[in-house]
Amino acid sequence: MTKKFKFKFNRRAFAYPYMIFMLLFIVTPLVIVLINAFLADDGSFTLKNFGEFFSNSGGGMTVLGNSLVIGLVTTLICLVIGYPVAYFLAKYHASNKILVLLFILPMWVNFLIRTLSTKAIFMALDVNLGMGTVLFGMVYNYLPYMILPLHTTLVSIDHSYIEAAEDLGADKFTVMTKTIFPLSLSGVASGITMTFIPAISTFAISEILSSSKIYLFGDAINMHFSKTTNSFGVGSVMSLVMLVLVVITNGIANLTSKDEEVKSVL
Amino acid sequence: MKNLVRIACLMLVFVMVCVVFVGCNQTEETDNLVIYNWADYIYDYEDDFKAYYRQMTGKNVEITYVTFDTNETMLTKITKGDSNVDVICPSEYAIQQLMEKDLLVPLNYANEAEFTKGINFVDGANYQHNYSKLDANVINKINDAFGAVTNKITGKTEAMLDYMVPYMYGTLGILYNRYAFIDAGIISVNEDGSYDATAMNQANWGVLFNDNGKGELLSDSLTNSILMKDSIRDSYAATVFYLLESGVLDELVVENTSSEYYGKPYSEIPAGVLINMVDENLIEACKVALSQQKQELFGYEVDFGKDDLLVGNAIVDLAWSGDALYAFEESWNDDLNDGEGDYELAYYVPHTTGNIWFDGWVVPKGYNPKNLDAIKLFINFMNNPYSSAANMYAIGYTSAVDPNAIMADQDALGYLAEGYAVYGYATDDDGNLLPVDKCDFANIEEFNDYFFYMVDPVDNSNWRYPFMFADEENSNFPRNINTLGVMRDFGDKNKDVVVMWNYVRSAAVSSWQLLLWTVVVVGVTIGVIALIRVIILKRRKNVIINK
Repeated sequence: MTKKFKFKFNRRAFAYPYMIFMLLFIVTPLVIVLINAFLADDGSFTLKNFGEFFSNSGGGMTVLGNSLVIGLVTTLICLVIGYPVAYFLAKYHASNKILVLLFILPMWVNFLIRTLSTKAIFMALDVNLGMGTVLFGMVYNYLPYMILPLHTTLVSIDHSYIEAAEDLGADKFTVMTKTIFPLSLSGVASGITMTFIPAISTFAISEILSSSKIYLFGDAINMHFSKTTNSFGVGSVMSLVMLVLVVITNGIANLTSKDEEVKSVL
Repeated sequence: MKNLVRIACLMLVFVMVCVVFVGCNQTEETDNLVIYNWADYIYDYEDDFKAYYRQMTGKNVEITYVTFDTNETMLTKITKGDSNVDVICPSEYAIQQLMEKDLLVPLNYANEAEFTKGINFVDGANYQHNYSKLDANVINKINDAFGAVTNKITGKTEAMLDYMVPYMYGTLGILYNRYAFIDAGIISVNEDGSYDATAMNQANWGVLFNDNGKGELLSDSLTNSILMKDSIRDSYAATVFYLLESGVLDELVVENTSSEYYGKPYSEIPAGVLINMVDENLIEACKVALSQQKQELFGYEVDFGKDDLLVGNAIVDLAWSGDALYAFEESWNDDLNDGEGDYELAYYVPHTTGNIWFDGWVVPKGYNPKNLDAIKLFINFMNNPYSSAANMYAIGYTSAVDPNAIMADQDALGYLAEGYAVYGYATDDDGNLLPVDKCDFANIEEFNDYFFYMVDPVDNSNWRYPFMFADEENSNFPRNINTLGVMRDFGDKNKDVVVMWNYVRSAAVSSWQLLLWTVVVVGVTIGVIALIRVIILKRRKNVIINK
């Protein structure tokens, strides 16, 4: 017996347009990428694309390594800068909403414009474009994505936990390391995912802030699709690798916040 | 629920009315045309072409204009067969690929039965396709390089010009800041005001590699101020030319036994042939040179190159002649030349070797036969002197139409003269003639000298019309058109060059250093915090014990 699909016009129907959109513009392209990864130039099945990428003949693995390192360092810097900021924002949240606004404000400006202006500032200061400027641009652009989830978690920590810890004789450092930080781990995890994933796949920031001298994974994928013919296969393999990285990062993030129950407001 | 039904009914009626209206429009005499062209590669042609089409056929034409930004994007779209376009404007090597894959329709009307169907414009008085108004030099150069292209599907060998109508052409060269070059000592000014470009002409393509032609540094001020084009083929050509001049190729011998140059050093091969050789050891040599060059670069550019030069971020760029002319005209600076004003930028194609390229209109096999008249008339229209002049004014590249035909055509010359503010042609907003002191050129001869017969003061050559020679005999470094090679498609070797380029781009990024530093900094920080913590705890313990 097959279950007959019957269209019922209820609240769920409002979700259908977006579901169709997702199916067309997210799932279908992913499937096409997957198929392309296994196709040779003439359209036959092959595993050569994987060989070509993993053997590093075109420097694909080098680029991946560079991107991962830059992504990691960016995330680390964002975390180191972002955590105290989020902490103090959370602490003085009630009294100063303007502070929060100031941190979100840069996000209202288009990030390409922001990056181009950053380049102009560096050029005016006679700074040589390179690794340093790219890192600066990345941290500048992705810092809000680190601060916001951290801020949300830190604000929602029940203050009585901290008071309890203090009553039991913990000093400020211990309260921080043993109470506040463990309670904010889910925020740290989502902050890391929101920073790390875009940081390893970016290509506009490196292109503008190093004049394309720093060549990242996003640049390499872009090159395989738009500047050459007959290399869709390798480009697709690289996109797949990117996807696997995204899945792994998400998996790790989910592990740390597994015990958190999702409380729906509905 | 009732309301919902009502709304649905209303919408249905609305949609039906729309359909009826659209249907009515289509029954009128309207033809269609789908154009697939480079972005920013045409003037505002639409109204002019529609008027021309109505005049020729009595019908209206509806144009769909689609753009691409690299030949490769276009090739992918056409070879995958998922696009319905009628007329495309690729570069010569891309046309070669399309011909080899049997994807083009011949345009040589005399031979092709299919293309003579419909209105036969060949005999029409207003029809000039194929060659009559085109620059004979362009025709010859294309025939030299692509006179025999083998169709890999049918096995036939055909001339590219049977499939392509040339549209624009240009050279690959070096766009540089003339004043920065004088400061850097690469060019110097003689007492009589003329330029001495000996150092630049010895370095030639070495300018892009900061090499003075003898393997030494050309100038300190070039370091971190060189831009390279993020284009695989162009960068490859420039590098091969550089290798040739730097002497690397004297020691490199052709190892391919099937080559007619087997056993000879690469430096003995004519430049036009050399840029089309994509041998393994040549690619390897390019890899080395390009990796070394990276230390000297400001960066690689696609779109921002012109701006970086105009702003002063970089002083040299590998550029196409059209972009260079555009940047040149933008670079007028009133403060230069003791307050008289001067163009800050200049363009230079090394006299020993260079690359010339051509773009042209082709018709893919997937064209819509219903649009045949529109296709023919469009190609025809694009090659009349007036549109050529308008195109050149709008985009900066050189039209394949004979410059003499443009100069002889009063409408075309008038269009240019008005745009460039020539006295007697230029008008203000109200349509009155501009006074002579507000014009950039006092008369049409002066303008012709600038536009058609421009002689660059530094290197005695004509950028816009490389086929015109400026005082070839009296120059120390005469330009010979045979030094300009045409690049063919790399074919199977394309992949190797792409791999090489990717390798160069990814190399020399100091991320491991970065990782090392990060680990050190993190380690030290944690260590310091732990140490302080231990000290504090110990002290506190002592306090408790003492109590």
